Amino acid sequence: MLLQLILSGIAQGSIYALVALGMTVLFRATTIVNFAHGEMFMFGAFVVYLFLHLVGAPFFVAALLGVVTLFGLGICIERVLIRPMAGGPHIALAMMTVALSYLFRGIARIFWGREVLPMPPVFSYPPIEIGNLVLTTQDLIIAGTMVLLVIVFMLLFHRSKLGRLAQAASDSPRGAALVGINVPAFYGTMWGVSAAMGAIAGILVAPITLLYPDMGAQILIRAFAAMTLGGFGHFGGAVIGGLLMGILEELSGGYLSTSLIDVFAFIAIIVVLLVRPAGLFGRGEVTRV
Amino acid sequence: MLLRRLIVTLAIAVLSTTAGIAGETTGVTKDTIRIGIFGPMTGAAAVFGKAIFGVEALYRDVNDHGGIYGRKIELFREDSACDPAKGIAAIKKLISQDQVFAINGGLCSNVVIAAKPDIIKEGIPYMVAGAGSSAIAEPLSPTIFQPTTPTAGTTRDMIDFAISKPGTTKIAIVSHSDDWGKSNHDPAVEYLKKRYNLNFVLDLTMERGSTDATPQLLRIKNSDAQVIVAMLYPAETAIFVRDAFKFGIKLPIIGHSAVSLTDTRDRVGNPAALQNFFLGYHLAYATDAPEMKKWTDLIHKYYPNERVENFSFLGMGGTLVMIEALKKAGPDLTRSKLIAALNSVRDFDTHIQARPITFTPDDHVGEKNAAMATLKNGKFTVVKKWQDK
Repeated sequence: MLLQLILSGIAQGSIYALVALGMTVLFRATTIVNFAHGEMFMFGAFVVYLFLHLVGAPFFVAALLGVVTLFGLGICIERVLIRPMAGGPHIALAMMTVALSYLFRGIARIFWGREVLPMPPVFSYPPIEIGNLVLTTQDLIIAGTMVLLVIVFMLLFHRSKLGRLAQAASDSPRGAALVGINVPAFYGTMWGVSAAMGAIAGILVAPITLLYPDMGAQILIRAFAAMTLGGFGHFGGAVIGGLLMGILEELSGGYLSTSLIDVFAFIAIIVVLLVRPAGLFGRGEVTRV
Repeated sequence: MLLRRLIVTLAIAVLSTTAGIAGETTGVTKDTIRIGIFGPMTGAAAVFGKAIFGVEALYRDVNDHGGIYGRKIELFREDSACDPAKGIAAIKKLISQDQVFAINGGLCSNVVIAAKPDIIKEGIPYMVAGAGSSAIAEPLSPTIFQPTTPTAGTTRDMIDFAISKPGTTKIAIVSHSDDWGKSNHDPAVEYLKKRYNLNFVLDLTMERGSTDATPQLLRIKNSDAQVIVAMLYPAETAIFVRDAFKFGIKLPIIGHSAVSLTDTRDRVGNPAALQNFFLGYHLAYATDAPEMKKWTDLIHKYYPNERVENFSFLGMGGTLVMIEALKKAGPDLTRSKLIAALNSVRDFDTHIQARPITFTPDDHVGEKNAAMATLKNGKFTVVKKWQDK
């Protein structure tokens, strides 16, 4: 039972981590916490559903179109709604994303308000059984994608020019612009990348959570908690935070009480934040004097 | 001074009489009867809002057949979003602004219970569309009528069905911890103890919005439970059934009547996972049975794009009773006459709900218990006890 719970916790935590990664990418590049990221997740899945059922596109084509559509949507959001507010207070930007979250959810409810739709899995293989342990291929794909994405973005942000670009653009947009970096275009691209990552998460996770307008909001809370637990803006932290959340939920439900599943991980977060306010891997803010 | 006091007293008396008469006939004109409708048309529980289309289709059909004593039904629909605050606002608007004669709606118990004081205060006839809490019509409120089996009845159906499986004494229960979950869980615990002198061998929680049921299912797997009673909402039921199949748990799972069998089948996406799945069912026939075709056609006549499933029929039984009572109340329609007509409904077979509806002046719970449904060789089948499956 212990191993199965840990395995299921990793599968569940991978979902949180995958969503948290998309938010972390945007946060690292722009220092904006996107509260509408759950809706990117939801829209991505719904776009794929539309391509699958209305257009009759094959799954992989629909998935690709979904990711591309959300990339475009991310760029549009930055260009139309965020850029005009550039330089404004962070709280205003955060509130804009909160408003967007409600707007997108409202739009989705107009079209699918009464439906909880099934989404086909990427591969329809029977569950894999190793002794008493059971794992689905969908779980493996989610965990695999999460690992792949975290490696890619850690390399990009820590070992490539993009990382320095992101650091410069987020620390001092004006300074970055002065040295020739096209900061608005960079921000736009990162919004697109983050939304596309939301779409990837939505496409992979929707076969598990099912498809409905509020699906993003449910996951976002946990992804946000995973980021907090791991340390804001830290890729590895988001992943470890997500996995820890998933495992703690499963273990508390399996060994203590199923009524604790929803709260136990949050209790753990409170404890961690009391001991390490910046999260497990986050670094406290340093001010040079 | 005495004369002045007399005039004031008379004025108050006249005003209150006029107001009383106005209240009795509010929303009724020579040509129309205003009916207020409300339900969760948006939000996470909007799937229950499907019932509103069934309700409205019946009223619109009445209009297309000349109305009731020449009066057309004028419908005023409000969205409660399954949110008590929004529900109260919707009821207040229907009563004060739209000045409806009666109300027919409400699919979420939390909303109906929150709006109940306003409905009682206004003395407005109210036919519940499908909200199931036993606290809606009990204790009795003179103007509130609940035509569908309340949660206590559904709970009894589920427990009785579980026990009807020969040799069953060990039942596990999984429920949500919210109001709805508690309104099902607590009566289940009480009924199992009182009726069968048994306790649940496992009492587990699965919160709303959960995407995984591993901890619950592993605990069930490690127990000696023979049947699982799942008091869960539709999405969580699908996840629970899907995960049970994943872990090779073949125990019968008895789901709640708030869940659609066909939807669960579609969401789980694997017919084999539903071989041992049953659920409380409030209709007389399978949704695709020939007997239900005329109701399906009626909904499609007015809402051609609406996907019809079992929730679509949930409020129609009560609406048929309401229409019958409006006719019975006569051409000089008043709220008192409508309530008297509703109180005289006896064994009214709607051919939609599982059982006939009866209201008396002392009992406004129209249907005491319903039935169960399952997929038998992939075909939707209504059953009453384990042996029928």
